Amino acid sequence: MLIEIQDIYKIYNEGKESEVRALDGVSLAIDRGEFVAIVGQSGSGKSTMMNVLGCLDIPTYGTYLLDGTEVTDLSDRQLARIRNREIGFIFQGYNLIQELDALENVTLPLIYQGISVFEREDRAMEALERVGMADRAHHRPSEMSGGQQQRVAIARAIATHPPIIMADEPTGALDSKTGRHVLEILRQLNNEGSTIILITHDDGIAAQAHRRVRLTDGKIVSDERGKEAAAV
Amino acid sequence: MNLVQAFKMAFKSIAMKKTRSFLTMLGIIIGVASVVVMVSVVAGQNKKNMEWMEAMGNNVVDVYAWSSTGQDMDAILNEYVSALDKKLVVGISPVINLWSEMIVRYGGKTYSTQNYDDWKDRIQVVLGNESYGLCNDYELAEGRELSFLDIEKENNVCVLGGALKEKLFNYTSPVGETVTINGLPYLVIGWYQAKNIEDDYSGMDNVLLLPYTVNRTLNKNQTISDWRIKCTSASATSEVTARVQSFLDGMFPKDEDGNQWDGYGYASTNNDWQQNEQERAKMQTLVMGGIAAISLLVGGIGIMNIMLVTVTERTREIGIRKAIGAERRSIIAQFLIEAAVICGIGGILGIIFGCMGSLIAGKFLLNGMILWPDQGIVMGAFLFSVVLGIIFGMYPAVKASGLQPVVALRAE
Repeated sequence: MLIEIQDIYKIYNEGKESEVRALDGVSLAIDRGEFVAIVGQSGSGKSTMMNVLGCLDIPTYGTYLLDGTEVTDLSDRQLARIRNREIGFIFQGYNLIQELDALENVTLPLIYQGISVFEREDRAMEALERVGMADRAHHRPSEMSGGQQQRVAIARAIATHPPIIMADEPTGALDSKTGRHVLEILRQLNNEGSTIILITHDDGIAAQAHRRVRLTDGKIVSDERGKEAAAV
Repeated sequence: MNLVQAFKMAFKSIAMKKTRSFLTMLGIIIGVASVVVMVSVVAGQNKKNMEWMEAMGNNVVDVYAWSSTGQDMDAILNEYVSALDKKLVVGISPVINLWSEMIVRYGGKTYSTQNYDDWKDRIQVVLGNESYGLCNDYELAEGRELSFLDIEKENNVCVLGGALKEKLFNYTSPVGETVTINGLPYLVIGWYQAKNIEDDYSGMDNVLLLPYTVNRTLNKNQTISDWRIKCTSASATSEVTARVQSFLDGMFPKDEDGNQWDGYGYASTNNDWQQNEQERAKMQTLVMGGIAAISLLVGGIGIMNIMLVTVTERTREIGIRKAIGAERRSIIAQFLIEAAVICGIGGILGIIFGCMGSLIAGKFLLNGMILWPDQGIVMGAFLFSVVLGIIFGMYPAVKASGLQPVVALRAE
């Protein structure tokens, strides 16, 4: 198994009256090469789920084995390394750095990997070409449309060739046409062997995935496999 | 992430926010510039004081003595000082300033000792012996000093100060010419190099020196009461001062009530005063430097403030960077370098403005003195500003880097 979580809890204000259980004893295993959608209404805990899976957040309780390594024991530095090399993030709000142009944004994770100047420029351009944004390499995020920004964000996520790509509502802020385009890119990446974890509230989008894990109130309520023939 | 990359990022981020970066730098610029200017001005002032004091004479003992029984104090003191170790004393000369009106004339030019309209044209007629020039740190430019024979024979000769020589003779040689003082002729035998002290109210370069034995005619035979002894070193000066004082105390014993019936005498040296002056100068430098350092500190706090704001403003950016794999130390390095670069640039600009300010201050406050700041101060101010940047950049950088990426990403 690539990802294996066991009895994960994420509890805010534990023991207080305002206690919130964002994740309430979740166990899940994801294999290499899967295309998993985590579906749920807002407040169901799906974003917390991605944060925990993506090592952006530390669970209150539970164990998380990533490729056989117990993640909850790792140091801040080791977690940074995992985020840098193992996982590529695509966020709903794109999360590009406004002061940097597209190429520089895509180069950033490669810089943190310590790759030489020439190689990282090449690899960043390659990633931008992949999402069809090579001609916008020197544009700032503010000079691009939402769809273009999201494609740059995808380029950033894939520039390091991570085995896992996590996308949190990647189409949430996009119109349906650009949304379809973004999903198409994800599907291609999955065909090339990347493990894709897609977070969405939209059943139509979730239907694109091979597996759908449904969350309600921090608990997994269903886990279906097989591609649905639902319309997008 | 390597250091070159971190520097590039810091410069980029500074260039992105020019106004804010400049305002931050302003604190450091003003701080460093004021340190440099204040310390330079104080140092320049002190240098001027020291030059003046040196021109006044180093290692000299001034003696004042008066005998009510009419003893020849000049002969007594000469005898006493001559008997002192030659390792201590260079010479002794009476010092008599003639305050009554003296008119010095050469060609068509006249100068008076009582010109109170313009101190630059007021001359001083002084009486001394062959050691007078030595005791007062004059350097002979041409001709010769008074000689023992001039004193003995009461020769009508004189030595001119540099400025007075220029006034009477322009650039021609005065040696061998005759000037008149209140109508009596005196042969010029030499002249002293001008000391060129700024604001020389005491008229050291407007001096006209006569053998003190001509006293009888010019000074109505007034008793000599002042002498100056030139010593070989600072320690010799202290020793001679003490010895002459105890000699005078022995000559004029006190009765039970502390009265001295036979006369009195004092020996003093301005070496002590010079030392005090140096101490005072050091204190002044410290105080002024301290005030300036406070303004630098305020600049540093400004930096911390702006870095805190920057961090808050850029929490989301920090979250993004952490999410895509920035280690904590990369974030710290980024913010630290940013702060240090801002302070460094501010420090360099501050030094430039400080140097300009020092030159301007030298020109207007210290009579056109070329005031060039001390290198140590400049380096110190620069390092201080960079260290301030690092210290004040550290706190927000550490704070920012410690955030969980998810917390930082939530910030708007």
